[in-house]
Amino acid sequence: MNPPATLVESAVATTSDNLREEFAVELHDVSFTYQDTSAPALRHIEICLRRGEMIGILGASGAGKSTLAKCLNRLVPAFERGQFSGVVRIHGRALDGMRVSDLSHLVGMVFQDFEAQLFSTNVALEVAFAMQQIGMPREEIAARVEPALEAVGLAGFAKRDPTTLSGGEKQRMAIAAVLALRPAVIVLDEPTTDLDPEGKAEVFTLIRRLRGQGLTLIVIEHEAEELRACDRLLVLRDGQVVAEGAPPSVMTRLELLESCGVHPPDLNRVLAMLGIRAHAASVEEAETLIRGALPLRTACFGAHPSGDGTHSQAADPLISMASELDKQEAVENSAAAAELGWAKTSGVSLSYGDLAGSDVPLAEAQQLSFAYPLGPPVLEAVNFRIAAGEFVAIVGQNGSGKTTLAKHLVGLLTPTGGEVLLEGRNRTSLSPEEIARKVGYVFQNPDHQIFASTVEEEVAFGPRNFGLSDEDIDRRVAEVLRAVNLENVRTRDPFLLSKGERQRLAVASVLVLRPRLLILDEPTTGLDYREQRGMMGLINDLNRLGVAIVIITHAPWLVAEYARRVVLMRRGRILFDGPVDAFFQQDELLRESSFRPPEVTLLARRFGFHALTPEQFVSVIRARLKS
Amino acid sequence: MQTSLYLDRGTWVHRLHPAVKLFGLFIMFWSVFWVDHPLALLPVALLMVLLAHESHSWPNFYAFRWFLILMIPPTMLEWMAVYRAGVPVVNLWFIQLSRPALLFGFGRGLKLALLLSSSILFLSTTTIEEFTASLVTFRMPHRVAFAMSLAFRLVPLFMDSALTVVQAQTLRGYNFNRGNLLERMKRYVPAVIPVFMGALRRANNMAMALEARGFGLDIAPTSFIEYRLVATDIVALIALVTIGIAYFMIYYFGFATIAPG
Amino acid sequence: MTVSTGEGLSSAPLRVGQYLPTGAVLGSAHELRAMWANTRMVVLCVLSAALYAAVLIPFKVLPLIPGVTEVRPGNAIPVVCSFLFGPAAAWGAAIGNMIGDFFGGVGPGDLFGFFANLVYGYIPYKLWSLLADDDQSPTNFTPATVAKYVVCCLAASVLCADLVGWGDNMLSLRPFWILGNIIIFNNMVAALVLGPLILAAVYPRVRAGHLLYRDVMPELRERPKPVRVAAAVMLLVGETGAWLSGNLLSTGHWRPQLLPATLLASPYDKAVAIVVTPFIILAAVGTVLL
Repeated sequence: MNPPATLVESAVATTSDNLREEFAVELHDVSFTYQDTSAPALRHIEICLRRGEMIGILGASGAGKSTLAKCLNRLVPAFERGQFSGVVRIHGRALDGMRVSDLSHLVGMVFQDFEAQLFSTNVALEVAFAMQQIGMPREEIAARVEPALEAVGLAGFAKRDPTTLSGGEKQRMAIAAVLALRPAVIVLDEPTTDLDPEGKAEVFTLIRRLRGQGLTLIVIEHEAEELRACDRLLVLRDGQVVAEGAPPSVMTRLELLESCGVHPPDLNRVLAMLGIRAHAASVEEAETLIRGALPLRTACFGAHPSGDGTHSQAADPLISMASELDKQEAVENSAAAAELGWAKTSGVSLSYGDLAGSDVPLAEAQQLSFAYPLGPPVLEAVNFRIAAGEFVAIVGQNGSGKTTLAKHLVGLLTPTGGEVLLEGRNRTSLSPEEIARKVGYVFQNPDHQIFASTVEEEVAFGPRNFGLSDEDIDRRVAEVLRAVNLENVRTRDPFLLSKGERQRLAVASVLVLRPRLLILDEPTTGLDYREQRGMMGLINDLNRLGVAIVIITHAPWLVAEYARRVVLMRRGRILFDGPVDAFFQQDELLRESSFRPPEVTLLARRFGFHALTPEQFVSVIRARLKS
Repeated sequence: MQTSLYLDRGTWVHRLHPAVKLFGLFIMFWSVFWVDHPLALLPVALLMVLLAHESHSWPNFYAFRWFLILMIPPTMLEWMAVYRAGVPVVNLWFIQLSRPALLFGFGRGLKLALLLSSSILFLSTTTIEEFTASLVTFRMPHRVAFAMSLAFRLVPLFMDSALTVVQAQTLRGYNFNRGNLLERMKRYVPAVIPVFMGALRRANNMAMALEARGFGLDIAPTSFIEYRLVATDIVALIALVTIGIAYFMIYYFGFATIAPG
Repeated sequence: MTVSTGEGLSSAPLRVGQYLPTGAVLGSAHELRAMWANTRMVVLCVLSAALYAAVLIPFKVLPLIPGVTEVRPGNAIPVVCSFLFGPAAAWGAAIGNMIGDFFGGVGPGDLFGFFANLVYGYIPYKLWSLLADDDQSPTNFTPATVAKYVVCCLAASVLCADLVGWGDNMLSLRPFWILGNIIIFNNMVAALVLGPLILAAVYPRVRAGHLLYRDVMPELRERPKPVRVAAAVMLLVGETGAWLSGNLLSTGHWRPQLLPATLLASPYDKAVAIVVTPFIILAAVGTVLL
């Protein structure tokens, strides 16, 4: 075991320039099987990483990404139990027999769950934590804390309570804590999965800057788009490397990526659909490639000045066409999803009775205001209505009032002003049961409601509370489990299901009460691409059956592909309420709300039209090809 | 959600060395221990008022006002039930009401209220890291101190998630407030289990994050924050020791005893 | 070369530095000290503490007697955690109770509250591992296991109540009979009504996740059985004696002739200190050797 003194010395030595070994990280024939499982999590992994290289690792949940990352600082096999074989070297030094904590100064690791890696009561102490643990002298710690905070853009935050930071700030703080140790390698394991778009952008901007400083970086993700800047990409499936190479060579293998549960960049999808065999790292590049490869009629496709695309919907005949396509596309998408095995979404049926509905809105907020006692207003005179069969996305930054508005609709909060009507009746006059039959609410984290010992019991909990007959309950449970594709796990313990399955279970246990309106708070957060598709396919199917949908989300692609109406909120007010197409043309509003339109929308704009999905884009382009 | 009573006012009371503040808390406990007569408790009460004023801690005292007042009567009754001295004025079932018994009971009630006040004062002026640092000064092992401060950080997080769970189950038609006390207690199970399991899902992640950041080395960690004793601390220490001795003297020489008559 | 791993995480060969608790009081209950070298156990302690406090605090608003005690369904948490996390739960109970007090105001009695909750989290799993022999799962509800469960909870609750009642009486804050009985009642109601329901839901899942204390610290060894049986007897005799004498003395129903009359005058503070203390010491030694 290393005495503390050498730990500190080696931490300093790794930062000096006279480094002998060429490789920062080497894995030779690394395999690992977790205790109690039969399938290996990693199989014969071979990776070499040069110093200063940035490598991206892609794959679905359970592909082995995190296990691979844990091999680099001995969490596998020193912490996780199981069977390990192979050799891992960091800067030429084999890790055999070392402890995780011995490596803390060599390999810095940032985890997805930012709450689980914060240990201190203020930011400076958080950054100092690891340095204190390895016994670094106080003066040295003091000299490193502030620069580390500056490096991640958190200068002046030293005294702040970490709980008051945003998700993005918390992750940057975690990165600062790692940077302060001056490690040889930094591993970021899905650092942005739980963040809103703003936080995501902050973290990736920081990662790019770190890369510029010559740090060796390993970034794990399940969305390919963010990893374009990597030197090399690695795709994992079932614990094996199935593709490896520079981003252009990996990102153009769309089928492979999708089959591995990775969200391929939309630009690559567009190019592939148009038959252009090339990689585009940016919207500009994609435009150049398309213009170079396809003979387009110039009259319609003069380059649109980017940035001020505020033309109205009526002015552009293509928009209405694109919207029509949208609906069709959504249906095809979910069918496609079913084919790919994302989720069995076709053939869903629910015995709802009459969902056709009258003209009375399902839910309506009139001049709704809300504030916590002694707090600032959270909602200010909000007017909002949802008609039968709608599919609405509520977007806006964290703290803009999205969830507060949604919670008012189900009666979790009582307005301080205005009122809420459900199917024309004042909410306060309704019993909990009546509300539950009208509106269902699925919380962001499915684990906030799961407690029963089997999936079936979990779903039956609601109807049982409302005193339904056993027969009726059994019928409803069976029907709903079929709808969310959980029939085959009905007797399993819900805690042992995957995150995607637990999310579907949460939907089922609300759906079983047969609400005519379903509100879902960030239903795809923390899910990988495959699970996100499965979830959205399910929601889309429910909508087609006539259930009105309201989703609160941060994901632009999801809004673009699935929603028909968008409500944008900021500081307790609704700033925009209208069709999706019109929404993505509100450049000013989008920018102010840090809501980035999908890349394909930006690309379409360069060709002077509007599109939200690759399919839309391609169909418009095809229609305009010189025959 | 509020994690602690700490009020960031930056007064000289706040700036005292955390170990001095902890010692001050001890001296308050020590002082009131030796006396029973309400009059003898008056100086401590006055000191409390002065410090509350100096440290701008009134909001917390205001928040606790009913608690402070309401804890006196039951404490009086508890003690008067067993206090047998003086001539009973009234004989109520098991309580003998006499002048000394009243004085004695009120003294003990006041004592408890003062103890609570001193802890409110301490918590209003001391952050969690100062508190744990002061415990380490008094030989509390580092890891126990660490566990304490981390648990403090997690409490509001868990309370938040408990609140969300309650909301989620309410929407599924669950009524938490049905039945008698026992029944109600049982009905909290669907709220407790998700919070419990949510915490456990984190257990491995937290342990990994700790190990990854050097927790697990068998060396004593260094401390980044340094608290130095300054002149104010020395003055405060002397004052506290004097108060402590004075109260012991009051007891030793038998002042402020309650005359059985 | 394939190796099986993960037994002791990076568990250092236990060299006791100043960062590990060495308290002489706990010198014998070695796992209470050893657990601090195990990162998972530290985390489980933190989680138990935070859960306990998080469930306690909302119920502070329902005081039964202001400043004395509250309805505390949260008191089921230390017992549940004890069966799951063993020594980590003992510390978790002590720390969690302290955090709860931080929200409601600390007092000198909290020093006793700390140790009282430590034993409240320590005794259940210790006694259970002695009584339950082969079947270590507390979720098979047969008449025999239920009886054993009740004994474990009662033993823990009584010593917990003894410690607080004795301590607060010595500090002349409250007579023994107040807290000495309310705490037993409160703890037992929570442990018997809520404990089994939570355990049934949580125990199998924790076992599946390999987070039971015996899985996290497989190196733990128990003392020879005869010693443990003797220790259990000491514990039971000591805590029962403390409870009986504390109640009788503090209410003035018992005035042992051995004591000088000056010590027997109301409010009986001194009598409680002198008579109850030996019983407490006996129970404490029993606990440590368990």
